[in-house]
Amino acid sequence: MSDMDRVVTVPIGPQHPALKEPESFMVDLRGEKIDAVRMRFGYNHRGIEKGCEQRSYTQDLYLVERVCGICSFAHSTAFIQAVEEIAGIELPKRATYIRTIIAELERIHSHLLWLGVAGHEIGFDTLLMYTWRDREQVMILLARLTGNRVNYGMNTVGGVRRDIAPEMIPEILKVVDSLEERTKYYIDMGTREQTLIQRLSGVGKLSREDALRLGTVGPTARASGVDRDTRRDDPYAAYSEVSFKVIIDDHCDVYGRTLVRLGELMETYSILRQLLKQIPEGPIAVKAPRRIPEGEAVSRYEAPRGEDVHYVRGNGSEKPERVKVRAPTLANTQSVSKMLEDGYLADLPIVIAAIDPCFSCTDRMVRLNEGSGGEGRTMGWEEVTRYGVQWHKARGLDLSKIKIPGGGGA
Amino acid sequence: MMDIQALATELSTRFALPEGAVKVQRATRLWVEVDRAMFSEVFDYTVKSLGFTILCTITGLDLGADLGFIYHLARDGGVMINLKTRCPKAESIRTVTSYFPCADIYERELVDLFGARVEGLPTGARYPLPEDWPEGEHPLLKDWKPKTTEAPAPTSEAHAPTSEAAKGAVSE
Amino acid sequence: MGVFHRIVRWAQRKSPWILHFNTGACNACDIEIIAALTPRFDLERLGVVLKGTPRHCDILACSGPVTKQIKDRLVRIYEQVPEPKIVVAIGSCATSGGVFNGLYNVEGGIDQAIPVTAYIPGCPASPQAIIDGFVKVIKSLEEKK
Repeated sequence: MSDMDRVVTVPIGPQHPALKEPESFMVDLRGEKIDAVRMRFGYNHRGIEKGCEQRSYTQDLYLVERVCGICSFAHSTAFIQAVEEIAGIELPKRATYIRTIIAELERIHSHLLWLGVAGHEIGFDTLLMYTWRDREQVMILLARLTGNRVNYGMNTVGGVRRDIAPEMIPEILKVVDSLEERTKYYIDMGTREQTLIQRLSGVGKLSREDALRLGTVGPTARASGVDRDTRRDDPYAAYSEVSFKVIIDDHCDVYGRTLVRLGELMETYSILRQLLKQIPEGPIAVKAPRRIPEGEAVSRYEAPRGEDVHYVRGNGSEKPERVKVRAPTLANTQSVSKMLEDGYLADLPIVIAAIDPCFSCTDRMVRLNEGSGGEGRTMGWEEVTRYGVQWHKARGLDLSKIKIPGGGGA
Repeated sequence: MMDIQALATELSTRFALPEGAVKVQRATRLWVEVDRAMFSEVFDYTVKSLGFTILCTITGLDLGADLGFIYHLARDGGVMINLKTRCPKAESIRTVTSYFPCADIYERELVDLFGARVEGLPTGARYPLPEDWPEGEHPLLKDWKPKTTEAPAPTSEAHAPTSEAAKGAVSE
Repeated sequence: MGVFHRIVRWAQRKSPWILHFNTGACNACDIEIIAALTPRFDLERLGVVLKGTPRHCDILACSGPVTKQIKDRLVRIYEQVPEPKIVVAIGSCATSGGVFNGLYNVEGGIDQAIPVTAYIPGCPASPQAIIDGFVKVIKSLEEKK
């Protein structure tokens, strides 16, 4: 049997190169190409849903916020919206505006974070350094507005806990203006830098039919031509008060996913300007009962990675009867196996990174089994990334050579 | 496309659902309680004829003698239909993976966390509990309690800090 | 303390190699650790280098709480770290389990599994706090010689 015919199963798996552990992705390789992928998740299971039943709604805000360290506000808001719906609480307008402002600032930091991580996975570390330096502007701003860089503690039942002082509005606009300029450089690079375009095009293909069939959400779905965005389709917070485009692309690959996120950043800057111009005066919260009546509600929120769904059931007490969280990454897991099929092992890191999974999902390891009777070889995730970078360099794509336009300056 | 009131009426009349089984919560939220016997029919109709081709997730509930299941379905335009049904704990429900491949992981969650039995679920890795989780322990059941609920005291006297610099909290 | 030990301490001080082990959780601390390496904070100018193997690391930096599954693995990694072992718990979860303390799959902070040298609190621990923590740990190595 030739090398090309031999199927080699590559378990991509645990969290550490030093250890043998259950694998999360079992990849069957045929030569350098991926035949099939089987997946396993759950290593991160903490027991949050049960924990929510044992804590009050207010305590649960702090727990649910920490489901994920990137879209913490998404989870906090999705949760509290369901609670407020059960209790029949109507929020003051100003509170909905503040929530939307924080939500969009979170989208900025998340998309810039993603851009940097994607850059790292393809050997373009300059992009990581620049985007994360830019991202610091938002992190500092969020810390000034909320008291923390992540996990803002902004929500309460019935509104938000902190107001946005009038003198902060020009500060927010300054950051928006500055990041809009930076994003334009990244878009310019993304649309003109041939090495980058070639590296990302045709990689991680997912047709529109498959995206629909497999329940894909977020920028990943929109890059396959699926015209869905919860902010427009089922508006919440203050989204029905602003106008924005839903960014759709039909490349159906990692390049498309990059363009969608860059386009979304530009729309976010526009949304923020509208919100800051229109934000009404008024209270930032209404008094809410500690006991939430019997009832149930489902809240949907467009997190940076896609639709986040929270179901809450009240039983008349201070603690919820049931809290169910469906994070966007979970919806995209089956799409990932499809995208990896018939692709190159060298592209595995960027394809997985392109659905923007929770960071720890990408801290994986590759173990090469040489089939029965062979010896195992251990590779870390960084090694697979390096393998991918070398593989593409050998084919003329060296991303470390790319200069970022207008890259100088603070 | 039918608006939500029309959808409510359609489902109510077509399946002769009892009073109170169909609730319009707001313009994009419909709740429909369906008896187990009729569930597959209603589900099939909602997905195939009413165009609810998005399965957001499946929520499991511990209702005492029964398990409750809510299928959160949606379609383009934002309307959600939440189909609710229930089934005695020892009995099984049918998989909906033939309609929605993504239901796979949502159904596995029901199996792991509630001990639900799902007929027709393809073989595959469990989710979300670890491989060595004890048989028969389903954490989201109301009467399930973890073996230890208190966090034990730190064991760290083995490596006490050796200088003032390393001791104590970091200022920020 | 012998000559060899003094050399090891000197090497650790000049350029500590860090092994970062994260047990999962929400990863906010992990992102702040990486942020600490990016231009605004630039942890690398302290000579701090992130490495992938426990056998060559000077400092084992852990983030995230200890879950039932992770405990054994954490202990095995700790055993592979050469003496003298320095363990830094980064973030409230690594310190005490943080907000996840009491959940059925969480046992508490890192010190439920291994001895800890220094705790850097915060939810998440900010890049400034992380740098401050490492500076204190490195200083304490100086004082040992």
